[in-house]
Amino acid sequence: MKYLFVFLLFLPIYTYSSDTIKIRELYAGDMQFSELAKSLDGKRVKISGYMAPPLKAQADFFVLTKMPMAVCPFCESEADWPDDILFVRGKDTIDVIRYTEPLIVTGILELGTKVDEETGFVSRVRVVNADYERAL
Amino acid sequence: MKKLLASMVATVVAGTTFANDLPQQSSPWFQDAQNVLMQKMETPRLRGQAKNVILFVADGNGVSSNTAIRIFEGQAQGLLGEEHELSFEKFPHLALAKTYNSNAQTPDSAGTATAMLAGVKTRQGVVGITDNVDRGDCVTALDNQIPSALHLAERKGKATGVVSTARVTHATPAAAYAFAADRNFEDDSALSDEQKAAGCVDIASQALTADMEVILGGGRRHFIPAELTDEEGKTGRRTDGRDLTKEWQAQGGEYVWNRDGLMKLDPNADRVLGLFESSHMEYEADREGDAGGEPSLAEMTAAAINVLNKDEDGFFLLVESGRVDHAHHAGNAYRAMMDGVAFAEAVQIATQMTNLEDTLIIVTADHSHTLVMQGYAQRGNPILGLSKGLDSQGNPVTEPSLAKDGKPYTTIAYVNGPGAVQGERQDLSNVDVEDMDFVQQALIPMSSETHTAEDVAIYARGPWAWLIDGTVEQNYIFHVMDHAAGLSQ
Ligand SMILES: [Zn+2]
Repeated sequence: MKYLFVFLLFLPIYTYSSDTIKIRELYAGDMQFSELAKSLDGKRVKISGYMAPPLKAQADFFVLTKMPMAVCPFCESEADWPDDILFVRGKDTIDVIRYTEPLIVTGILELGTKVDEETGFVSRVRVVNADYERAL
Repeated sequence: MKKLLASMVATVVAGTTFANDLPQQSSPWFQDAQNVLMQKMETPRLRGQAKNVILFVADGNGVSSNTAIRIFEGQAQGLLGEEHELSFEKFPHLALAKTYNSNAQTPDSAGTATAMLAGVKTRQGVVGITDNVDRGDCVTALDNQIPSALHLAERKGKATGVVSTARVTHATPAAAYAFAADRNFEDDSALSDEQKAAGCVDIASQALTADMEVILGGGRRHFIPAELTDEEGKTGRRTDGRDLTKEWQAQGGEYVWNRDGLMKLDPNADRVLGLFESSHMEYEADREGDAGGEPSLAEMTAAAINVLNKDEDGFFLLVESGRVDHAHHAGNAYRAMMDGVAFAEAVQIATQMTNLEDTLIIVTADHSHTLVMQGYAQRGNPILGLSKGLDSQGNPVTEPSLAKDGKPYTTIAYVNGPGAVQGERQDLSNVDVEDMDFVQQALIPMSSETHTAEDVAIYARGPWAWLIDGTVEQNYIFHVMDHAAGLSQ
């Protein structure tokens, strides 16, 4: 735990810059991919968002959401995934960052529906070979 | 002193002429306030029976949230914002409601909706039952059901309906038509076999047996079986194999699932079920991006009134803006503001489509949230923006104010929630704090920002609306609606 904490402290800290895109910019209306998304398919991108609480421990992937995955105990008996989520496949096992910390993910953008062989998780858009940093 | 008082009385009676000219008399502030005074003196206390009653609830829209929405809407119209009025803020009568549940200082929507709709406070988490039943004990609840204003209106021969941007089986609309020992009994999969055998019925099933003419909102998944995939590609939740949308149609009702269907509704239709999303409808800010296309709250309200107006005996309608609450829980003020503006537009439509003389309209919130407007922002400062103050002469400055940590801050913050700062506070200098996805900074870390316990406002117009006055218990709202329309008679 101590180790993780120290590690977090020394994570490189990214600031938002003009080449950082938002998850919603990947979509035009109707959940279709935007021109921007199509133009970046297969290319290296920087995307801002939040790490959803991981589905399993020691995974090498996580789900990036546009806002923290808050669940109201009064409103909901369970959490629903929003439509516009991003599957992030890391280079290594993921170091969990609290789901309320703004992040910037860097990696290769992949469009198109794909089922993750290991988990069965269905995604429409992914960032692979990814690094991620806290945005401060 | 006596003389001055006498002259002030004379002034009030005579209107805008003053015995002694006051130096501030020519100020627009002065004139505006004088006009309001005249208006208030001429506001009649309507005593006729209300034919129609509409209860509008913006879930979670406390007084601070409402103030922020007022400024947000005003600034969107090019005003400074603070001086603006939301549609229902023009209503003549106002009270404050004490919102606590019978067992909780800070309430939830199920207990508060039951208070407003059935006239008695009850426990957190339960719908349409008395407070001597444990939450979840659906068998005991069967003998402790309490009819709502909607049930009474139905019994009196009026048309009835519910409209919500949340699931129509969610706490607030459910309290209008259902009885449930737990707000989560939205479909039969939430009930055990023993509970079902004992006679417990899920909320969606009760939506059909309540005999309502209008049901519009989200929550399609609770009406269709798990084996069925809906029009937008999502599966149902029911495990009893029933398709309630089919059953509704078999009973002669219209069923629509998107905006297009609602807009093209047969003008002669006298019963309509509209389920526009599998779960909650989209936030107003995201509505355009919806796969099937969703109507706005104002469009649903107008469609509801069009159908209900066909009944000569009048109608009872509950309209809920369900997601001001959800956006606050997410710590995301932008979406709360947008849903609040959509709520005010829905109230506006209802005032245009009904008569002051025969329709009682009550507008309120069920509870508040931790949103605060903090710091000393200058007049007209963007409501979602960084706080910019005044110089020592009282003139606006162009640079954001800085906190003790040397960093700027936004006017809107939450006391708790996902925006809570852990460790060093983020420097917002280069962050687009007015972005739709921005999560406002908060103090206490929680996965979900919470409700709060302070009073909420009640606004009213129409017959007997003047009984909305003072600081009252929330369950008093039912009693005004009942008295105005003679629902229980
Ligand atoms: Zn809530």
